[in-house]
Amino acid sequence: MTLWEMKAKQQALIHSLSAKLSPAVAGRLHEMGFNAGQAILCLRRSPLRGPLVVQVGDCVYSLEQEVAQAVLLEQSAAS
Amino acid sequence: MKRIILVGKPNSGKSLLFNQLTGLRQKVANFPGVTVELKSGQFEDLEVIDFPGTYSLHSLSRDEEIAIDKLGEAVHDQQTSLVVCVLDATRLERSLVFALQAQALARKNNKSVVFVLNMIDEVHRYGESIDTEKLAAELGGPVYALSAKTLEGVAAFKQALSELGQQPPAIQQLDIDADDDQQLVQRAQSLSKRFGMKADLVLKSQNRIDKFMLNNVLGGVAFLAIMFFLFQSIFTWATPLMDGVEFLLAELAHVITSFTGEGIITDFLNDAIFGGIGSFLVFVPQIMVLTLIIGILEDSGYLARAALICHKPLSFFGLSGRSFIPYLSGHACAIPAIMAARTIESPRKRLITMMTIPLMSCSARLPVYALLVAVLIPENATFLGIFNLQGAAFFGLYLFGICMALIVSLVLNVFTKKDENLTDMPFILELPSYRLPHWKPLIHRVWNSGMQFIKRAAPIIFMVSLGIWVLGYFPVGADLEHSLLGKIGHIIEPIFAPLGLDWRYGVAILMSFLAREVFVGALGTLFGIAGADENISGLAANIQADGLSLGSGIGLLLFYVVALQCVATVAVLKGETGKSSIAWGLYAAYGILAYIIGVTAAQLIGV
Repeated sequence: MTLWEMKAKQQALIHSLSAKLSPAVAGRLHEMGFNAGQAILCLRRSPLRGPLVVQVGDCVYSLEQEVAQAVLLEQSAAS
Repeated sequence: MKRIILVGKPNSGKSLLFNQLTGLRQKVANFPGVTVELKSGQFEDLEVIDFPGTYSLHSLSRDEEIAIDKLGEAVHDQQTSLVVCVLDATRLERSLVFALQAQALARKNNKSVVFVLNMIDEVHRYGESIDTEKLAAELGGPVYALSAKTLEGVAAFKQALSELGQQPPAIQQLDIDADDDQQLVQRAQSLSKRFGMKADLVLKSQNRIDKFMLNNVLGGVAFLAIMFFLFQSIFTWATPLMDGVEFLLAELAHVITSFTGEGIITDFLNDAIFGGIGSFLVFVPQIMVLTLIIGILEDSGYLARAALICHKPLSFFGLSGRSFIPYLSGHACAIPAIMAARTIESPRKRLITMMTIPLMSCSARLPVYALLVAVLIPENATFLGIFNLQGAAFFGLYLFGICMALIVSLVLNVFTKKDENLTDMPFILELPSYRLPHWKPLIHRVWNSGMQFIKRAAPIIFMVSLGIWVLGYFPVGADLEHSLLGKIGHIIEPIFAPLGLDWRYGVAILMSFLAREVFVGALGTLFGIAGADENISGLAANIQADGLSLGSGIGLLLFYVVALQCVATVAVLKGETGKSSIAWGLYAAYGILAYIIGVTAAQLIGV
């Protein structure tokens, strides 16, 4: 399951970042807190498949579909 | 003079701390084509340089690359005695990632680092505290907790800084591998777990406001209200200031020309110098007002939300969510709008936005639209019985401009896709906490925006207005029809024939390549109406009597929607893109495109 499939208010743990991401972008995501085992909370989904809003550690980020699809989650997402 | 440099993650309140340290006098260094800005000021006998906020020492875009290169140079420089890492005390983990990278960079260059935990007042407000002494021991460098906003701890830091700047603290050895980013991220995480406050405390209030601001309905209403306010401010509220500038210039011209008497010198001063300068100095208030509002939006944290709301619809055209505010501002004036495009994080999208902003119908097109619409459409004509046809025509012209901009964006998007210098930044946006903006950084930002525009536009405006003045003035004593410009107008008459326009329109169009609003005044002179700017209906009646066919009129209107007839805009484009070729190329390309569209419309409707 990827971050893009999360529903609002769902929580999950990050599994890994997809190898499809360029190393530079993956590195940046790591620095921003998208690391394996990190808890992630989906705060909201935007209409029209717009960017979603997630809370990771001490920050809130907005990611577009392309990036969110490259963030892989542990199987079970709890709401 | 010894130098200290300020670094930190975006939204860490670094600029405010810089302002509190250095006071009112500061210099800004820009790099053409990128948004990187290095501010320098003085604190006691130390030079302080404020670096742009950065998430990482590994760049994703050209802008970041330049900022990071400059940081590397500055840290390496012998003059630099100290690196000050500014951290957001409420978000220790994220701030520490960059702070640890910066520390590693400083170590490699044998430079000492001190850490500043900014916004400590917010930590205290949540009833928490941070053990700075133990954190300092872990980090291997002094740690100061302060708030640049409430000034808590700032005096103590200043005192420490004046000593440390001269006599940097010893560099302590650490047994970590600073080049291993994975390890560095983990270290930031464990340190923040030990010392930082609980994350959800900070985020709770932010998320509560976002529930409203990002709500599909209420958030949309708030967005429209804020954008309406922004648009009003540049369209209406800047007007008294612009009138003030015009008045002062007219008075100054009056005083100066009273010494020179009648003759060529007076004419030159009046028309070329004061006319030319006036045509671009009036934009300064508009630029400053827009910069102020965007500054407030950015510092308060709303700009990121606005970008999020607009991202999806605009991304279809290859634009960013952050393109919206520049586009909207472009309807008042392209110049501040192009400068506002600096907030777009992706270089490619920034370039596309800047290149298409001139297609937005700016306020300088209004007199042209007003004149031609008055000529073509009777005042009381209605459309579907209820809508005023003149109003509908205005709306149609604005809409045409927006559609053209989106089409051109799509085309540019295809053509720039392979340019490696313009790598695309993926849309990863931090939503910062909502904060009340502080006036100090805002004032500097507003002032710098005005000064930068003057410096960039003045030389180009001067050359072009001089050229047009010479062509219109010589041979001495000739009226406009018999001047060099009039002769050129006659020679190029065939060019405008497909539009159904004679040489008089040709001359007015040529003159309006300096600034499009000149069109009305120039046409007024040629149709024998003095002061046509204030007497549009008189000129409209004259043109009607002279006969302007519907096809020619519509062709001319569409020409003015598309053509980039504003030298000040070209100057700003040149400064912001860093390339003359883009600026003047666009000037020519939009001119040709405007001509093709105008001729096509005129021929289809019939001249």
